[in-house]
Amino acid sequence: MSVDEKFSSIRKGMLEFLLLKIIAADKVYVADILKQLSGTEFATQEGTLYPLLSKMRREGLLDYEWKESEAGPPRKYYMLTPKGRAQLRETSDYWQKINATIKGLGPNSA
Amino acid sequence: MNKVITINLNGNAYQLEEAGYEALRDYLDHAARQLDGNPDKGEIMADIEQAIADKCRAVLGMHRTVVSTPDIKTIIAEMGPVDDGSVGGAGEKTGDSAGAAGPKPAGDAGATGGPLPKRLYRVTEGKMIGGVCNGIAAYLNIDVTIVRLLFVLLAFLGGTTVLVYLVLMIVVPVADTAAAKAAAFGIPATAQEFIRRAKEGYYEGMKTWGDKQAHREWKRKFKQEMRSWKRDFHQQMSENARQWRENWRNTWNRPPHPPASYFVVLPFVALLCTLITLLWLVAFVSFLFTGAIFGLVLPGVPWWGVLILLFVAYQLAVWPLRAIKHSCRYGAPGWYPYSVFHGLWDGIMGLVVLAFLVWLVDRFVPGAHEMLLNLPHTLRHAADSLQQWWSQK
Repeated sequence: MSVDEKFSSIRKGMLEFLLLKIIAADKVYVADILKQLSGTEFATQEGTLYPLLSKMRREGLLDYEWKESEAGPPRKYYMLTPKGRAQLRETSDYWQKINATIKGLGPNSA
Repeated sequence: MNKVITINLNGNAYQLEEAGYEALRDYLDHAARQLDGNPDKGEIMADIEQAIADKCRAVLGMHRTVVSTPDIKTIIAEMGPVDDGSVGGAGEKTGDSAGAAGPKPAGDAGATGGPLPKRLYRVTEGKMIGGVCNGIAAYLNIDVTIVRLLFVLLAFLGGTTVLVYLVLMIVVPVADTAAAKAAAFGIPATAQEFIRRAKEGYYEGMKTWGDKQAHREWKRKFKQEMRSWKRDFHQQMSENARQWRENWRNTWNRPPHPPASYFVVLPFVALLCTLITLLWLVAFVSFLFTGAIFGLVLPGVPWWGVLILLFVAYQLAVWPLRAIKHSCRYGAPGWYPYSVFHGLWDGIMGLVVLAFLVWLVDRFVPGAHEMLLNLPHTLRHAADSLQQWWSQK
């Protein structure tokens, strides 16, 4: 099993965190999000993204508004709610803690 | 030259080749199935359709009006399998974000376009015992009541059916993931309805972009309908199961235990029954070989008439004994379906009585011992003469 496979569930779990980060930076629509993730280890697809976004909206972490686009129908632009921002802060802190734990354990060079 | 099908994706018409249409329909079917139970199913499906529509538009140009099958395949591959991250934990988790996306079993293959392979699973929603009948009904696409009736009927005829059920219960896996459920049913009913509505332009409502009020109203109604389909389906399944359980209890287990007198009276009744059966058998055999019942010739009655008479006489002799058995089993006269366990008990008693009779004859009737020892030979001889008689006819 490659490292990539081993970490697939972790990547999946972290996707929500990354979405919070991306959406916190700017109002975005789904194609933007996909583009930002495309080059990374977290490259994902609409089939995964839409259900996840709708779940996060249901949990009150984000909201969207319709915006007209030059070509084609209006698009959903996503943004964070105050609750989403709080969650992002919390998750970031937690991530720092995990990082520190990993660094602190085992041989120092690792 | 390929046939072209026009579809309505989120309020926009697109023309697809037939194979492409099939692939897209399978994809949407599967997506709808995956999202079953998601409160935002309608909205997510609309989003997905919109995304597909956008991709279709990107493919089409001034001189191309039809989205080809390879295009559709590429689009579906780009979209990726729809997986509802919240399937694992039905309850909404807000606090810890680490597990919020819900680890999903990695084995959920076959989520992309292709047609769903049908497999036999045990379907435990609305099950009676192990969900075997439910699974078979889903696999054969027939009403579960028919399958259950067949199973019960077969169980009456022989206990082997019960064994078969148990084996199936062990061998056939439970459809516990959404993908397995979809495979158990082939194409799910709700998703089919979903697609039917999509084809009928049910999503026309999405065109009401400008009028926000109307759009919201339409969306609300759409979600409501989605929920009510699901509710109806579940209600029907559980109501079905409840009714079955009740019927089961009423017919099978009433009363839960036969009165003690049953076990006392049964040996005597069984003794009589077996005697009558033996007598009948001897009469039958003697008629076959000699043309007369214990030397008694019925003049003017054809051979088949004698057989019918014999049969009726046997039923008449046995009937009151059966009535006695039933009435002492249930404490009151009346007819109740025969139970497998009581049938087994009857059978064992009958065999015991037969063995006892054989032992008695062997011990006390002179010459019977030799006759019994010669029984295999006699039987073979009888079979031979029967064969001769048959080939002469």
